[in-house]
Formats: sequence, structure tokens, C-alpha cells
Amino acid sequence: MWFVGLSNYSSILTDEKFWQGFGIPVFLLLVQIPAMLILAIFIGLLYERIKHSEVYRLIFYLPYAIPAVIASIIWSYIFSKTMSPFIPLLKFLGFGQVQLITLSCLPWILLIIILWEWTGYTSLIIYAALLSIPKEYTEQASIDGANYFQAAFYIKVPLLKNTVLILFIFNAIGALQIFNETWMLGGVGNFSLMTLPPNYTPAMYVYHQAFNYGAFTYSIAMALILAAIIFIFSFAFMKMSAKVLQSHE
Amino acid sequence: MRKIHNTGFQMAAILCSVFFLFPFYWVVISITKDISQLYEGTFLPGVPSHMIDNLIGVFGFNHAIFLRWLGNSFLFATMGALLGTFFAALAGYAFRRYAFIGRKLLYILILGFSMVPAFATVLPLFIIFKNIGLLDTRWCIIIPSIVNIFGVYLMIVYFNQIPQELFDAAMIDGAGDATTFFRVGLPNILSGFTTLLLLSFVGVWNNYFLPLVLLNSSEQFPLILGITTIRSLQGFPIYNLVIMGAFITTLPLLILFLVGQRFLAPQLTGAIK
Repeated sequence: MWFVGLSNYSSILTDEKFWQGFGIPVFLLLVQIPAMLILAIFIGLLYERIKHSEVYRLIFYLPYAIPAVIASIIWSYIFSKTMSPFIPLLKFLGFGQVQLITLSCLPWILLIIILWEWTGYTSLIIYAALLSIPKEYTEQASIDGANYFQAAFYIKVPLLKNTVLILFIFNAIGALQIFNETWMLGGVGNFSLMTLPPNYTPAMYVYHQAFNYGAFTYSIAMALILAAIIFIFSFAFMKMSAKVLQSHE
Repeated sequence: MRKIHNTGFQMAAILCSVFFLFPFYWVVISITKDISQLYEGTFLPGVPSHMIDNLIGVFGFNHAIFLRWLGNSFLFATMGALLGTFFAALAGYAFRRYAFIGRKLLYILILGFSMVPAFATVLPLFIIFKNIGLLDTRWCIIIPSIVNIFGVYLMIVYFNQIPQELFDAAMIDGAGDATTFFRVGLPNILSGFTTLLLLSFVGVWNNYFLPLVLLNSSEQFPLILGITTIRSLQGFPIYNLVIMGAFITTLPLLILFLVGQRFLAPQLTGAIK
């Protein structure tokens, strides 16, 4: 048993398919999460400036109530070439046969789904952090002649650093274990609108190894390695949270 | 500061709203359509409306198995939320009130394990349930749902906020642990208790991976897994029924989020004056 266990780990290290699966998490880490954080900061600043902001806060937050599985089903239908409400428009423009649910477009569709799900929630956290910034800071700046945008970008945004960092780590943990969205978009065989390679994300590869390829112990070893990678992020998350808590005291 | 560029900001907010509301709108119009109306791909509700047909279709699918899924979802989520939160509160109480051997170690373990991703624990659960012969029964969803490690961590935090004087007063009055827990502990953490209750309900209701791995027969499925198996005899999804099923699955969540907004949304209190 002991040797089998060890050999599992060593073969994972050389299993290209497992590491290829990290393409999507890395894409989310480098593109989706920064895009979402920038958007959320923008929306957070927006809340301070618009009328009826509580209505918009609720509207933007609502997608968070929808489970990822269902959000992915609905968005995949909206992007499908059969049911999309945009088909008549696309046909009119001469793109009648355009197929969006493809392997190359999928990261971008994933990006839209996750932005839709999480931006509202994230912007609320940003907003809470913005509210905790003492008014005197920006008042002083405006006395000194700074306009609204200068006050926002040079005074408020830098003060959001810790909150944004925590949000980044929190989202990175989610990105590393992404499963539901990609599974609904292309993992469930002929239920989904396309079929994705089994190693499209690390978590999907773990599932396929365990239940479709019968390599159960191998997949558990992979899950543990993935968990260890996630734990590094979690550890950073805990460290950061502790630091922020202390700075508030 | 003067309110400048207000119309610009307002326009941006409206634009964002369109993006965030669009899928909701699309689902609401789509549940009135049959499959050929869906394929027409318009922004308007189906005429004539097939909403009733879709409702009948989804509840009648495969000998009314949808009702069974609905019941399962409520069973899993209610049991998981109530028992999970209650046990977590008991743990929180113990950590607050007692200095026991390994207290600190246990705390670190709880904190660490609350970070372990779900899929890493589901595979071992598969083996455990297989060995004790509970695989593919509703127990293998209920039992793991009761264990809420992050909840335990939250409860420790909540209980630590209760002032020591309250416990001292209860002790002087001769209250035992049970009385102190129910009369002093719980009432003082009620808002946190409610938050955790709602969060766990939503968490179990939405949990897709656990039943996907542990369940095999359709009768044991919760809604979230069930609706992904609404297929025709040829094996293709029946899109109009899937959308209706997804709508019904989401409805309790939306109600919960609107009613319990105070407990579920990130807290702005303390910041708003």
C-alpha cells in the first residue's frame, strides 16, 4: 500500500494532463479576478454617487443567490446557437451560423458567468470598506483642490488594498477548484452543449480519474495535491485576515 | 464634495443592471415557451403561453419524480442547516466555557479543516459510505451536511463576543450547562445563529458535487442534481422543462435571500451612520 501511495504522487508530478488542467484556473487568476475586482471597485464607488443605491445594490447582488450550476445552464442556453435570444439579431447582421459554445470561446463565457455571479457580492464588500474610510480624508483632498476622480483614485482606492488582496485570495481559492461551471458547460456528456476534455480543470480531471477511468486512489492523491496548493492560498488568506483584524483594533 | 457627473454614474448603474438582470428576465420569459418557441429566440414571452404545460411537464416528468427531488432538497437542506448549526453552536459554547486539554490544537485543526476544499473530502466519503453500505442512500447526503466545520469556527467567534459577566451571573444563579446554553448563550448569538442557519440551508441546497459523487438512483437526488437529468428517451435534455426546473429550484433561494437579506448580505452596519 505504502509504495503504491508514493508512486501515485510521483506519477502525478509527471502527469502532464493534470497540470494542463491548471490553464483555466490560471486564466481566471490573471484575467477574470482582476477584471472583477476593477469592476467591483468601480461599482463600489458608484454606490456612493448614485440615487437609489440600495436598489442597485440589491439588483447587483441578486445573481449571488443563484447556484453556479443553474447560472451555468442558463448562460450556456443564452449563448447557444439554438436558443439564444440574440439569434434574430445576429442573423440580421449576417452572423446567423456563429457558434459561441466552442473550446476557444469557453474561457470568455466562463468569465462572463463568474463576473455575473460574483461582481455584485464583491462590490458590496468593497462598498463596506469604502464606507469605513473616514470622510475627513477626501474632504481634505477636495479642500486642496482635488476633483472627485482624483480623490477616489489617489485616496480611496489605495486604502482598499487589504480588502482587495483578501478578495483576490478568496477568489483564487475558488478558481483553483472550479468544477460546477465547466462541468455544466461541457462535462455531462450529451447533456451539455459541448464536450470538454476530461482534464479541462484540475477538479474535473480528479472526478474523471475516479469515476470514469477507475483510478480512484490516483484521483485522491491528485485531490490532495490540489488541496495542498489551495491551502497555500488559504494560509495567505488567514494571515491577511488576521493582519487586517489587528489593524482595525 | 459636489455631486458631479451624476447622470453619467446613473447611466452606468442602469447599464450594469441590464447585464445583471438579463438572465433573470430570460428565464422568466422562457418558462412560458415550448421547445419550438425557445428555438425562435426572441426577447418576448411565448404566445400562446406554455407556462402551465411546462409546469405540468416538469412535475409529471418520469412519474412525478420532481416532487421527490423537491422533498429531498428540503430534507437535506433543513436537516443540514438545523442540526449543523445547532452542533456548531454547542461546539462554540464548549470552546467559550471550558479550558480542556488540546483546546488550542483543536481550534487550529478546525480553522485548518474549514479551508479544506469539498472535493478533497468527497472522495474519501465515497469510500467510507461504500464500506458501511450507505452509498446511494439519502443518509450519505444528510450526514456530511450536518458537519459544518466553518460553522464551528464562526460559532467560536460569536460565543467569544458574549461578555463573561453574563455567564458568571448565570452560574451564580445556579444554572447548569443546558440552561446557560439555551437561556444565555443562544439568545446572545441569535443573529449569528440565523446567519449560519440560512447560509447552511443555501449551501446544502446548492451542493451539487456531493450528490453527484455519492448518489446514483434518481429517487435520492436533490433538485440541483435532478434537473440536470431531465432528458428525453433519446438522452437529450428537454430544454423547456430544464428551464422550468431551474426556475423552481431557484425560487426558494430568491425568497430566502430577499427575506433574509439582513443576515446574508455582507455587513455594512457599523459603517453606515
